[in-house]
Amino acid sequence: MMSKAVEEIKEPTVKKRNPRRVVAGLAGLSGALFLASCAKNAPQDTWQPKGENAQKIDDLQKPVFAIAGVVGVIVLVAVAVVIFRFKDRGQPIPHQTHGKPVFEITMTVIPALILAGVGVFTARTVFDLAKTDDTEMIINVTGQQWWWEYDYPVQDGISAPIISSGQLVIPVGTKVLLRETSRDVIHSYWIPALNGKRDAVPGRVHTLRLEADEPGIYAGQCTEFCGLSHANMRMEAVALSKEDFAKWVDAQLAAYQSPTEGLAKEGEAVFIAQCSRCHQVNGLENANGDPIISAPEENVLAGAAPNLTKFMSRNTFAGATWDLLNKTCRDNVWNATSEEFGAKYLAGVSAECLNVADLRDWLRNAPAKKPMYADPTKLADTGGLTRGMPNLNLTEDDIDKLMAYLLTLK
Amino acid sequence: MFTTGSKFYLGISTLAAIVSVVFLITNDQVALGCVALLGLMVSAGIIAGASLASRDGGETENATTSAAADAAPTSSIWPLALTLGLVVLIVGIVTEPLVFVIGIGVILAALAEWLVQSWSERASADGKFNALARKRILNPLEFPILATAITGVIAISFSRIMLAVSKDGSAILFIVISTLILVAISLFSLKPSIRTTTVAAIATIGALGLVSAGITTFGIGEREELVIAAEEGHYSHQECGEEKSKYYDKHVERTVSSKSGVIATVILKDGELTAKVLGIGEGQKQITVPRANPTSILFQNLDDTDHRLTAYLGKEPVAEGVTEDILTCTQMIGKGGKQVLTIKINKPTFAEGPYTLTVPGIEGTSIEMIVP
Ligand code: HEC
Ligand SMILES: [Cu+2]
Repeated sequence: MMSKAVEEIKEPTVKKRNPRRVVAGLAGLSGALFLASCAKNAPQDTWQPKGENAQKIDDLQKPVFAIAGVVGVIVLVAVAVVIFRFKDRGQPIPHQTHGKPVFEITMTVIPALILAGVGVFTARTVFDLAKTDDTEMIINVTGQQWWWEYDYPVQDGISAPIISSGQLVIPVGTKVLLRETSRDVIHSYWIPALNGKRDAVPGRVHTLRLEADEPGIYAGQCTEFCGLSHANMRMEAVALSKEDFAKWVDAQLAAYQSPTEGLAKEGEAVFIAQCSRCHQVNGLENANGDPIISAPEENVLAGAAPNLTKFMSRNTFAGATWDLLNKTCRDNVWNATSEEFGAKYLAGVSAECLNVADLRDWLRNAPAKKPMYADPTKLADTGGLTRGMPNLNLTEDDIDKLMAYLLTLK
Repeated sequence: MFTTGSKFYLGISTLAAIVSVVFLITNDQVALGCVALLGLMVSAGIIAGASLASRDGGETENATTSAAADAAPTSSIWPLALTLGLVVLIVGIVTEPLVFVIGIGVILAALAEWLVQSWSERASADGKFNALARKRILNPLEFPILATAITGVIAISFSRIMLAVSKDGSAILFIVISTLILVAISLFSLKPSIRTTTVAAIATIGALGLVSAGITTFGIGEREELVIAAEEGHYSHQECGEEKSKYYDKHVERTVSSKSGVIATVILKDGELTAKVLGIGEGQKQITVPRANPTSILFQNLDDTDHRLTAYLGKEPVAEGVTEDILTCTQMIGKGGKQVLTIKINKPTFAEGPYTLTVPGIEGTSIEMIVP
């Protein structure tokens, strides 16, 4: 017993680190980081502006980055030189001086001048970005855990309100003003290719201007930590040519077509029974011919659930986190040239293109796919209201029917 | 056999008994007076008993022979105060709970004072030291309690005066009184040789004046507009129609509210309501608000008379088959004033709309709120 215990407390052998290896490791790591920053498929790259405001930010940040880089290199080199040249080798302490006014003043004036120069341009850009008076279109953007809702007020070219979620559809070459707010906690809207970030704060309306130069899809991400599924709170800006945008508006405003027969018709009944208490489908009617009005405010803590009237006109779902298109069809849309993009996007989701697996998973058990506080046994704090969509324990049969029905919503 | 103290309290008790009989015979409205008098009889009787039982706190062997007993006991008002406290307590039982509580307070104070005083008088043979011992124990209690009581009385008196005089009068009065206090204190500090009794006398006169003015104005009551406003329930009423109160708060637009970050500013000008919508501009008749989300709208009144903005937010069921309009509104806003109105609409326009913003008293102009 005794001898064993003694053995165990024997001092561990310390491996002496080889400084060369550490340096090599660090160099490798930074090299990898450097290369990673050059990734080709980086949809949220801040260095690739695709719109006017993003361009302004880029025009400011590039020179500032260059200046900061030069200053940084000078400082680092100077520090390195001092470290190596004046290392303690036992030499006598050199002659000490107290104050060199000329040197000190120079070293104060130069940075002050640099900062003042940067400051002037920064202030100018800040004011430029805040400009809203030449806005050509407004869209209300409302954040909630964990998806974005968009509604388009009646304005030139939009004759009735449109409501959508996840993908923000805008016309190219148009100065679009987002009026952001939130239904629960603070979120932040950010499409890096089109502009900087702007917080969406409950009870307040903040504005953010976007303008896209070319048709295409621009990815973004909620950038204010907002709870469990913050990482799954994404969004995409979809820019369409002006003609295509008009077509999109017409499609969004087209009247609801109730399926007449088959699985889809049965799916409508399941939807009315299971889903319409949270999700609004405009035009959906009950047996008496009265419109069915959802009541998300009685079921969801944020007071809202995505409007599904034109669900299949979008390409992604649940906070733009999963594709509604399967791999081939997705690549076909996302990699389309700017000329072809519009038509491909407007085609929406067809039965052949549907990403069946992810959508079925969602209907089978949404909180298993996207973490949400939706467990009914743990909702005492919220008075039974869920954050996000709960698990509805649907049968595979019902899911078949719902899939058929959802495909008709476009 | 009767000690001096017990004779005194027995006398009071007997007197109270006699007076209560006379009182009973001569008065119609007897209840309260009788309670007080009989209460006095009982409480004085109890104290008399206590005096008897303790032989006035003397005459035990040690108490008479020890050195400490040489010092003569000083006179004490605390047994009397205790009697008074008991009377107040008994009156409180039949009248107000507050009186009862005051009675308890007086009893506790009298007991504490009495106990400590009689203890300190036998603490040593040195009267001066005994007085000091009493102070050591009781002053830290007496000073803060007395100070609170005096401050309370002064504050209440002052507030009664302010509520009774006119609005402008109260402002002037406030300035005059505070100036007087400032001047008096400055003079005192400039003349350190002034005698403390003089200062105390002046302060007492001032305090007495204040309290008597307070009592007088309490009798007069609050000024008319306050009385009417309270009767109308003006401070709490949530009336969204035309203002019927004469004395509503004329300065509400100066209240603090988040006046930035609103979705629209609704302006009343020349009898016309228009909206200045964030991102769209002026002159709008429609604003779009998100569903089921509290949203702020700023109301600005550029009309010459006071107005409020009222929002119609749909209907809510109040009983089987009965619904009531959901209304919310700003307060009355004077010319040029602004106030934020926060609205929340749960159902889309096509369900329960149209939702509107109107100004009661001004017909034919409104703004529609569209909920998608
Ligand atoms: C208790 C309310 C509730 C019920 C009931 C409900 N959902 Fe949901 N649903 C939500 C919420 C909240 C979201 C948004 C979740 C997110 O993206 O974080 C959502 C998201 C979705 C989405 C993605 C929408 C988009 O645009 O991103 C689909 C599709 C969906 N639900 C379908 C259904 C179907 C089908 C049913 C009925 C079987 C149903 N939901 C029942 C609350 C509900
Ligand atoms: Cu978020």
